[in-house]
Amino acid sequence: MREASLDRLKAFLTLLPSIVLVGVFVYGFIGNTVWISLTDWGGSGSLAVDPQKNYVGLANYAELFTGFLAGGFRQDLVNAVFYSVMLLAGAIGLGMFIAILLDRKPKGEDVLRTIFLYPMSLSFIVSGTIWRWLLAPQGGVNILPTYVGLDPLTFEWTSSTKAVLEFNWQNLFQIMLYVAAFILILVGLWAFRNDPRKALKRWLGPGIVIGAFAWLGGSILPQALFMEETHGFNLATLGIIMATVWQYAGYTMALYLAGFNGISQDLRDAAMLDGASEVAYYRHVAIPMLKPITISAVIILSHISLKMFDIIFAMTGPDNAQTGHPALNMYLTTFRANDFARGAAIAIVLFLVAAMFIVPYLVSQYRQRKRG
Amino acid sequence: MANVDLKGVVKRYGNVEVIHGIDLSVRENEFIVLVGPSGCGKSTVLRMVAGLEAISGGEISIGDRVVNQVSPKDRNVAMVFQNYALYPHMTVRENMGFSLKMRRKSREEMDSRVQEAARVLELEPYLERKPSELSGGQRQRVAMGRAMVRKPDVFLFDEPLSNLDAQLRTQMRMELRKMHMRLKTTTIYVTHDQIEAMTLADRIVILKDGHIQQVGSPIEVFEKPNNVFVARFIGNPPMNILEGVFGVEDGKRFVTVGPSRFPVPDGKGDSLVDGAPMLVGLRPDAIKMGENIERLPKDWWCKGEVVVSEILGGHSLLEIVVDGQNELIAEVEGRVVAHPGEIVPIGFEFDRMVLFDPETTNALS
Amino acid sequence: MKKTLAKICFVLVAAFMLAAPQGAQAKKLSGDLEIFSWWAGDEGPALQALIDIYKQKHPDVNVINATVTGGSGVNARAVLKTRMLGGEPPDSFQVHAGQELIGTWVEADRMEDLTFLFKEQGWMDVFPEGLIKLIGTDKGIWSVPVNVHRSNVLWYVPANLKKWGVDVPKNWEEFIKIAPKLKKEGVVPLALAQNWTANHLWESVALASLGPDNWDALWNGTLRFDSEEGVKAWELFGKVLEYTNPDASSLSWQQATDMVIDGRAAFNVMGDWAAGYMATTKKMEPGKDFGWAASPGTNGEFLFLADSFGLPKGAPHRDNAIAWLKVLGSKEGSDTFNPLKGSISARTDSDLSKYNAYLQSASADFGKDRVVGSLAHGVAANETFMSGFASVMEMFLKTNNAKAAAMACQQLADKAGLGK
Ligand SMILES: Nc1ncnc2c1ncn2[C@@H]1O[C@H](COP(=O)(O)OP(=O)(O)O)[C@@H](O)[C@H]1O
Ligand SMILES: [Mg+2]
Repeated sequence: MREASLDRLKAFLTLLPSIVLVGVFVYGFIGNTVWISLTDWGGSGSLAVDPQKNYVGLANYAELFTGFLAGGFRQDLVNAVFYSVMLLAGAIGLGMFIAILLDRKPKGEDVLRTIFLYPMSLSFIVSGTIWRWLLAPQGGVNILPTYVGLDPLTFEWTSSTKAVLEFNWQNLFQIMLYVAAFILILVGLWAFRNDPRKALKRWLGPGIVIGAFAWLGGSILPQALFMEETHGFNLATLGIIMATVWQYAGYTMALYLAGFNGISQDLRDAAMLDGASEVAYYRHVAIPMLKPITISAVIILSHISLKMFDIIFAMTGPDNAQTGHPALNMYLTTFRANDFARGAAIAIVLFLVAAMFIVPYLVSQYRQRKRG
Repeated sequence: MANVDLKGVVKRYGNVEVIHGIDLSVRENEFIVLVGPSGCGKSTVLRMVAGLEAISGGEISIGDRVVNQVSPKDRNVAMVFQNYALYPHMTVRENMGFSLKMRRKSREEMDSRVQEAARVLELEPYLERKPSELSGGQRQRVAMGRAMVRKPDVFLFDEPLSNLDAQLRTQMRMELRKMHMRLKTTTIYVTHDQIEAMTLADRIVILKDGHIQQVGSPIEVFEKPNNVFVARFIGNPPMNILEGVFGVEDGKRFVTVGPSRFPVPDGKGDSLVDGAPMLVGLRPDAIKMGENIERLPKDWWCKGEVVVSEILGGHSLLEIVVDGQNELIAEVEGRVVAHPGEIVPIGFEFDRMVLFDPETTNALS
Repeated sequence: MKKTLAKICFVLVAAFMLAAPQGAQAKKLSGDLEIFSWWAGDEGPALQALIDIYKQKHPDVNVINATVTGGSGVNARAVLKTRMLGGEPPDSFQVHAGQELIGTWVEADRMEDLTFLFKEQGWMDVFPEGLIKLIGTDKGIWSVPVNVHRSNVLWYVPANLKKWGVDVPKNWEEFIKIAPKLKKEGVVPLALAQNWTANHLWESVALASLGPDNWDALWNGTLRFDSEEGVKAWELFGKVLEYTNPDASSLSWQQATDMVIDGRAAFNVMGDWAAGYMATTKKMEPGKDFGWAASPGTNGEFLFLADSFGLPKGAPHRDNAIAWLKVLGSKEGSDTFNPLKGSISARTDSDLSKYNAYLQSASADFGKDRVVGSLAHGVAANETFMSGFASVMEMFLKTNNAKAAAMACQQLADKAGLGK
């Protein structure tokens, strides 16, 4: 008994320095940022030796989401969602596809692997610059078709002002309900084959109810903004998404390839004998088995997408609303506009979005550990 | 259910030939055990039958259909792997049902077949568990269940019991036997454990370095091994092999081992001539002690000095030196209490003696 | 051992100093001087020339040339802010003269009043009065301008205009009249580049629409952005935008200038660094290969911007920094730096023979024109407004709603405390 508590004390003492450091430099500073985001630190005089900071509650957040001047931030937030979704889909999809091709051990597999992994070793500034050139309106990618005698492309990869999937920010709540209903119904349909009763009760039912409510009762929902303001998927972000996917597909490829190599030959043989085709093997056996890898890839990539900054800076510059991102907005708000409180609020919003990805993961990990 | 035929099957990895032209006919409903030391090519043969390994020469047919070019999933064979190769992310139910799902069987059929297999294998309480939540024996049964639900033409087993402890292994061995008696599916079973081979097989195939040494029923390979390798591989403790010289005197045929001289029964070593060197094989259980030697002719008796004795419950193992130079292992009935150094009378069942050519190590007829 | 050596040195130096002829230099400077700027690229040589002069005068000072690259100083300013907040100011730093300096650093009480230096050096007389007003407040003068750029310049290639049969428009009405004709020729009437050049164009258009008095009134808070005049300025800007190239946001300002040079576009409104680009990089002869005029409707007005250096409170080597500021404001320093940088001197007495044809003409205009402050380059409004204005511009580019943009500007002005 005594020995055990001594051991504990020792363990605690060993951990103490890192607890203190993390406490101060991570959580302390997050706390400080939260505090700043609740003040009005900004504007002229904000850089004084002892600047004025008055507590203003959630005013900065309210301004960000409903204020007249913060439309840029809202578009950035919408962009961030699309950046995340597209980067995840693109990098994981492409990475997985390449990994599957290489898993079949073609000739020169090791060389190809290095080639695909290489982009990740470049800094975002370098790859951003390369891609800015490649995606220039009258050069690079757009003139590729001329090599085979076709007309050049005219798509403006990074400067298009077109947007698709536009929605009115006023209807934010309604749209969020629709999205929730859509996801619930999708999950429900997927679960339906296995367990129709549970699927109906857990997923389909609530999904349909929420969807119907959003449709019928949409008008009684509060409007998020006093005026019409459309946001959507800006096509100019495609160029940046391409560059980012190019950079990170190799990384997910390496993750998956390592995973595939770790699956025993027997398992593959068993699947073959069970009648699985190559496609079915990956779909039903290999990829589901690599769920932990997929989860970590999702988490890492979503964090990368939430911190996207340098590649946008390099490709379209700091003041480009079409391709903006909250992280960039935070930097400009804080260090150019001297609006420290608003910048802190953006940082906290980003932090909360990141937490939305990581917390469910941590919870599930924790549960698993407790069970296992 | 189908027969399996291998004709001159060869397997090469690069330039290295590991299977050197094997001929084997497995009859319908037969339980064949492939046995041999580690690395002799048992798994390779099995995998070639399954189609997981391309064959470099010869021909394999299943149910009179040449399957050289048929992909594994179309051969309708099921295989149980040494490490079970269960899908770790699927429940027991999903594991067992996977092959049916791949073959687009209806839900009802899938459920009923999995249920049936689970009932037989006593896996019903575990159907919703993942493999990681099962014991070794349970996993083993899931692997068998997965093979069973498919109702394949041929079962292939690759050392399925070698990861289990001794007790479970014995139990599973029995269950396997029962399963085969019920299902009667043609089975090729690979093991390096000769006891499994002896207990399970209709016929045993002994493999060494990619060559078949002998094919025969358990009794056949036990009593009439083709060569010293088979003789010593089958049976535990292994057969005693003594070096001797054949002789004929007064029309009586005998073999001289050291200073002793033992009679050679008729019908053995008929082709031998006087003075020919040879190897004498005697099973440990062909050595008798105590009152059991009374039934044997007197000239089959001799004396030996006990070196070590071990009592193994119902029977005992003794190491005995005869004539001060020939060491023998004897497996005798009952609990024989003998002290090291004690001189005891022993008897040999010479009618079970096997003679080998010392040069080729092949058995002499 | 070391100590005795140091002592000997000290004695020797003291003796030498006593013996040395007094007066040539009142005080011998030593130690470090850290200059913080974003002049690392094309402007590097010009800055180096200034440092060379300084080193000649004060050979014992170790000059640390700290540069942070990045277009018009976005990154440098961010680094500077973290350094100042961290209590680690450089000795002197580059800053756009005007509200960018005043709103950020003077209001925060981080700068030293340089009036004493202006008086001592006689700069009150050599710098134009209007300029001194724009770089100062009622509490003092806050930085030493090293150069002057003009923002409202219209660039073109005379031969091309002749070919298309158009004249240089004197105001935007004329421009809008000739623009359709150019479009028909397949020529972009007005070349535009990425985001900040839209702000740059806006100030020339707005100045033309408002006139210099209203322009000034806008920034001292006496004219509202959402007033009739304010909205009109945005409306005119919207009309002008119709004649610009659609791929603007992916071009650098040089590429927009290239469009004019290559005959793909007729005009371009850009600051006079474009003259440096065409004369130096493109080897074109000012006045012959390329021509210029005040941007439409702003003849007689000089929309100026200037780089300047200030003296932060708590500068670790204050004396060295003051000596640096003296070099910057001197005629020698000014006339060494500006021809290299492609700008004109802020001094009225500069030696024009050292400048090329464009700069001579700009210099003449600077002397006689009405000088007003640039918004896009930090003179007219503080950073809070400027940064917000960039978002308003993005919104306008997307919606083309003049009224909303004007309203947004007014909100922004209130928030930024313009004119307070
Ligand atoms: N993929 C392979 N490449 C090269 N040699 C192999 C390969 N697989 C097996 N072998 C060789 O073939 C021989 C037979 O192997 P195997 O059939 O696995 O033996 P076992 O009887 O123990 O199952 C061994 O010598 C082994 O080294
Ligand atoms: Mg094996």
